[in-house]
Amino acid sequence: MSAAMRHEESWLLLPWLANGRLSQAERARVEEHVHGCTECATELAQQRLMCEVLTEPDRVTYAPGPSFRKLMERIDARPAAAPERRAARVHGFPAPALSAWRPPGLAFAASFVAVVGLTAAFATAYHWSQPVYTTRSDMRAAEAAPGVLHIAFVPSLPVGQAEELLRSAGARVVEGPDPSGIFGVAPSGSTQADARELRTLAQRLHADTRVLWVEPLAAAAAPPAVQERGTRER
Amino acid sequence: MAEPTYRGAVGTARETDLIARVAEGDRRAFEELYNLYHRRMARFLTRLTHRYDVAEEIINDTFWVVWRKAREFRGDSQPSTWILGIAYRKARNAFRSAARLQEKNLAAAPEPLTNDEPASAEELRDWLGQALAQLPVEQRLAVELCYELGYSCEEIAAIMNCPVNTVKTRLFHARAKLQKLLPQLAGTTTPGDAGGGR
Repeated sequence: MSAAMRHEESWLLLPWLANGRLSQAERARVEEHVHGCTECATELAQQRLMCEVLTEPDRVTYAPGPSFRKLMERIDARPAAAPERRAARVHGFPAPALSAWRPPGLAFAASFVAVVGLTAAFATAYHWSQPVYTTRSDMRAAEAAPGVLHIAFVPSLPVGQAEELLRSAGARVVEGPDPSGIFGVAPSGSTQADARELRTLAQRLHADTRVLWVEPLAAAAAPPAVQERGTRER
Repeated sequence: MAEPTYRGAVGTARETDLIARVAEGDRRAFEELYNLYHRRMARFLTRLTHRYDVAEEIINDTFWVVWRKAREFRGDSQPSTWILGIAYRKARNAFRSAARLQEKNLAAAPEPLTNDEPASAEELRDWLGQALAQLPVEQRLAVELCYELGYSCEEIAAIMNCPVNTVKTRLFHARAKLQKLLPQLAGTTTPGDAGGGR
């Protein structure tokens, strides 16, 4: 490589020599050139000054909390904004990559899975239609506790994490747990939540995969979109 | 407490794990990831836009996409490259939406800033902020990604989705313009000496 080319290459790479992000080989090459080139040595000093000035501690402290809350309100305002894994499963639309041609064997496998899945779905629906389910939505309780959501977590969830989940979702425990592990919860900042508040809270809770289901008790607060997770996702 | 870092094997593994949890809808992981990136993104985006509310909008637009697309992150690139790549596109779109103003800025012949010499690194930083505002947005972002956030040339190319040589060229032109705009940078080696070479 000629001296001119070496100079040009070194000149272009000086910003990364200054910020320390050159590979070892590049660094050795550029440093060797800089030692014998006054112009590059001067430029390197300026580049280091730029790095120094731009990485100095902030005079302003940016608090992420309020911004994050705004973002979560935006996400909660659009339930469809859940991570796309769930959206694809709910709506059943195949991802673009899945729409490509597949070997016939896969079609048989898919059919088999579909049959098994439908059988399981019917069995589960039948199971849920039995009295053991209806006792959890006892309307007497609804009359006694309007503005309350009932919630069940995945069984493996530690109590501490359940509390943390509720706290971050803006909910507080007002009842339970009953012998089935079901809690009654209400919005944290509200003594008598209205239907809209409950709907928002239910959607927020439902978006968390650690929540098995969340169910409104008061008829007035029953949001149509909030069902048991398994029912909704089928 | 040590400040969270963007780079390093431990940081990368941690962020990859957080993104995997975000893909499962874990809000705590999402908040942790958001906090990791918010400060630095707020800093360089505020310097670029001169408005924190605009910077915040870009950050939240970015993390809105992170929330939606976490499942698609396969770990082929570093988490920071993926997230900053989204931020870069959001920032570029924000600048384009203010295209008229920007065209006006670009059309204006850049003039050297005041002849007053900056007395401190803090003033120099203010001057630098004003000088950066006169650069085209692609050059501005390349400068911030290199000098402030400390990315390598290859990482910046991945973030900006362009060839490595384009990154070098953008910085080359940005450096030339900054030298004209900030004559006090020329011939100085320390912030305290800024302007001494003129």
